[in-house]
Amino acid sequence: MTATRQRIALAPAALPRAREADALAFLAELSRSLAVSIDLRETLARAITRVREFLDVEGIALFLLDAATQVLECKVSAGPVDVSGLRLAVGQGIVGRAVAEDATQLVTDAASDTRVWRAADETTGFVTRSIVCAPLRTAAGPIGAIEIVNRRDGLPFTAADAELLDLVAAPAALAINNARMAGALLEQQRLKREFDLARHLQKSLLPRRRRDGFPVIGVNRPAHEISGDFYDYFELADGRIGFVVGDISGKGLDAALLMVRAASLLRWAGKDGLAPAAWLARANDEVCETARDGRFVCALVGYVDRAATRVQFAGAGFPPVVVHRDGRYGEYVAGGPPLGILRGIDFEQHDLLLDGGTFYAFSDGATDVRDADGKPIGLAGMRALIARHVRETPQARLRGLLGELKRLRLVDDTTLLLIEAAQAERPELLLARTLPARAEAMRELRAALRASFDEHGIEPQLRDRLVLAVDEACTNIIRHGYGPQCEGAIALRVLRSEAMLAIELVDDAPPVDPATIKPGALGECRCGGLGVALIDEVMDEWRIEPADDGRGNRLVLRKRIPSWACEEADET
Amino acid sequence: MSAPIIANSVSREDGAGYVLVRLAGEVDLSWSQDVRRAVLAAFGGGEAVGVELSAVGYIDSSGIAALVEGLQQARASGRRFALVAPSDAVRAVLELARLDRVFAIVADIDALLAPA
Repeated sequence: MTATRQRIALAPAALPRAREADALAFLAELSRSLAVSIDLRETLARAITRVREFLDVEGIALFLLDAATQVLECKVSAGPVDVSGLRLAVGQGIVGRAVAEDATQLVTDAASDTRVWRAADETTGFVTRSIVCAPLRTAAGPIGAIEIVNRRDGLPFTAADAELLDLVAAPAALAINNARMAGALLEQQRLKREFDLARHLQKSLLPRRRRDGFPVIGVNRPAHEISGDFYDYFELADGRIGFVVGDISGKGLDAALLMVRAASLLRWAGKDGLAPAAWLARANDEVCETARDGRFVCALVGYVDRAATRVQFAGAGFPPVVVHRDGRYGEYVAGGPPLGILRGIDFEQHDLLLDGGTFYAFSDGATDVRDADGKPIGLAGMRALIARHVRETPQARLRGLLGELKRLRLVDDTTLLLIEAAQAERPELLLARTLPARAEAMRELRAALRASFDEHGIEPQLRDRLVLAVDEACTNIIRHGYGPQCEGAIALRVLRSEAMLAIELVDDAPPVDPATIKPGALGECRCGGLGVALIDEVMDEWRIEPADDGRGNRLVLRKRIPSWACEEADET
Repeated sequence: MSAPIIANSVSREDGAGYVLVRLAGEVDLSWSQDVRRAVLAAFGGGEAVGVELSAVGYIDSSGIAALVEGLQQARASGRRFALVAPSDAVRAVLELARLDRVFAIVADIDALLAPA
């Protein structure tokens, strides 16, 4: 830049002072340095010093607009007077006007120009003769302005100077805007990381699902990133199982942190096997000590024996518990105010014989779900949902309830806890069909299978492969089991147990010797055996055995469904 | 399933130097014998044979077997044979059966007729 300056110095009065080629080279260089800038403040300070040298002016300053307060503040300046920190309102002085009008201002004679705000000169003793100020333009309006004061050659600024400053302002505005957006992005990423961490921490607090005939299961779905709800269960030394469902008032990170504290507090208070009412009283006193800002905790705590015959529980501001037995529903209001409001409170306690029934506790996120008319579904709505899923296994029922609530639109964190005597794991029936053993029946069966697999979240590629495998199995029964003349039927059942899909095909054709069923090699250009080879390829396993009543055959195809495995893991 | 239901059909186009058998719908055991006959009949002339599969939403092993027979017939008689524009559903089954490299697969009939 030294060479440029010397050239300008040699021809002070020449117009344009900076020749076009020099100006372009300078702008290109300036844009580059702004574009790659990491520390914007430092880069801007260097950039305006270079602009000052290049334009050969006495003073230069860069102002940025605070969008919230509409105040312009000088962030960097160079020249005889340091004006950084100077604040102006939009519309005030030349800088304020450049921003207000989003137009470059040229002042050739500052002394006689009414636009000029003179207070600065009066305090500093500096004499402003001529000014150019260009707004820093972005698509969303000006974000500040860059101002130059007094040519060093003593002449007033010209339209050419104003144009040049306008050109300088463009890359500066772009760089500042980019830096701001990058900053906002970083902030978002940081927040997301924190939320992810909180969510993982919360999930890690939920107990693992127990499969060994354990009578208590729970599910939790946060409405947003993180949940204010939680549930817990643990075994006492005497064999009883303690359970907790909790709901923290409010949302967001601090509610989540209170949840973490309340969850550990409630577990700690229940480990001694205190009666549920005393358990809550103890937890209440502790929460009163620590909860702030009017936050409180709704909770339900209790014990159940492993055979799920008797449940003892107490509630603190928690929605009523529903008990379902043989088509009849009972509601138990778990009295007592939420934890964290008043010390030394007594809680009401219930003791009930479950006697083959099911105990449901749900946070108000469930009952607050809106129906089609926009009204909360309430306990009556929950009873209706329970009735719809009553035949399903406890795990499938909870999943079904949660699925229906999600369809109705969950607005709050939702937690469901269920207590029921464990049965031997019954598989969930997804589809049952009896079809004539004719090739013409297959198209409709395939459509029914596709619809069922779609409904149960099996991804399309796997769905199509499974449909193919079932079709091949059926056509084998039709062709080889029943043979060409024989009329018969095939009873199909599609079952799910945990992440395992089972497809059962029962026929009443003559018994088949499994040893006679052989796959051909895949990729082989032969016509026979391809169907069995495809079944082998798609399914994890299959077996054929005599049907239960000794007539016909029972073929079972099995496949582990990866998306179901994720679902199970989700439910912990 | 939101996919449109396409009626099962097989038709034949006799062009200059080729016979194109067009299949549509879901090729399964209920009519794969018709498909087999149509494919084998296409070898009646001394020409290249293509089987157009863009409108086939499903194919089972009996349908694949009909195509395999076509390929065997072509090899035995020294004629060209290709699957023309197979749908994703057909490709998926060919891949599963590891037959996607066994068949010549072309985008259109011109590609079948172009000198190799």
